[in-house]
Amino acid sequence: MFVYEKKLQYPVRIKNPNPAMAKYIITQYGGPDGELGASLRYLSQRYSMPYPEVKATLTDIGVEELGHLEMIGTIVHQLTRNMTVEQLEKAGFQDYFVDHTAGVYAQAAAGWPYNAASFAVKGDVIADLSEDMGAEQKARVTYDNILRMADDPDVIDAIRFLREREVVHFQRFGEAMGIATSRMDQRNVYAVNPAFDRKK
Amino acid sequence: MQNNDSCTYKEGPLPSCAPLAVPMLAAQQCAEPAYDSAEALAKGTLFPGLDLPFMDYVANGPVERTPQTELMALDFVCQELALYLDTHPNDQEAFKTWKNFTALAKEGRKRYVEMYGPVMRADTAMFDCWVWPEDPWPWNAGGKAGKK
Repeated sequence: MFVYEKKLQYPVRIKNPNPAMAKYIITQYGGPDGELGASLRYLSQRYSMPYPEVKATLTDIGVEELGHLEMIGTIVHQLTRNMTVEQLEKAGFQDYFVDHTAGVYAQAAAGWPYNAASFAVKGDVIADLSEDMGAEQKARVTYDNILRMADDPDVIDAIRFLREREVVHFQRFGEAMGIATSRMDQRNVYAVNPAFDRKK
Repeated sequence: MQNNDSCTYKEGPLPSCAPLAVPMLAAQQCAEPAYDSAEALAKGTLFPGLDLPFMDYVANGPVERTPQTELMALDFVCQELALYLDTHPNDQEAFKTWKNFTALAKEGRKRYVEMYGPVMRADTAMFDCWVWPEDPWPWNAGGKAGKK
């Protein structure tokens, strides 16, 4: 069960519309390494995970990612509210605008709608946790790239916060991997998949 | 947690001899040192050892202090310590710190709700009528504290 909190994890207060920036930041809403995929990846991988600490890590990080999804939605909303048709035309925002007006839609920067194929649930402890570590790195790079291009201090501040969370989550998944592998057969951790092969 | 004197707070221990083809990352040793809550929120982490910014994109000082950002900061420390505790469940010191911050956040939330309105839907029970839908919602500029 989930309970909603009527506040963001970190303040987002963007004063000026800037559809050009919204056009690429939307990728962290519904793109391949975005927050929606991150949340669904972790919250879905939980079910087959056999270790309590790892179940907790996937749950708590997966829920935080939903909060990040809300922050990105807020950034895109605040960058596109009060924009004029002239501004959006100048920014090359017509393709998005014609389909979604100033709504927030889960798509990648290149326009692809959100696709669950951008993440995996393999049902194997080491494979899933390796994916999670890679996912945090890919999201971190996406934020690095956004920082290279963004020129509004209000946007940079929130993106910088979200990027740092990827670093912390990477550390926690690495530690979760350590906990998981320490409970496997130390002569060969690949001898069985503890998420499927039951102990006799 | 067990402290290894050879590592600093920016490092963590690895086994001296480890199996091949097994992913390994140095574990954080301890929940100290830690930033204070306002600084932690601004930096995006409670832990100086994990504070690894890109280029010169660093926080311009602590987040502007409002009743809302104070609550955000306390909740953030709770979240950060919870993630740490998930992978360090036997760290009793960190658990104590988490308990203290959880109590502070609970008090802070109560004071905030009295002044600005419900954060959780159940907080609406403190009011005389159904104020839950009232603006501003989190994506509205400035947020609650900014508007009042």
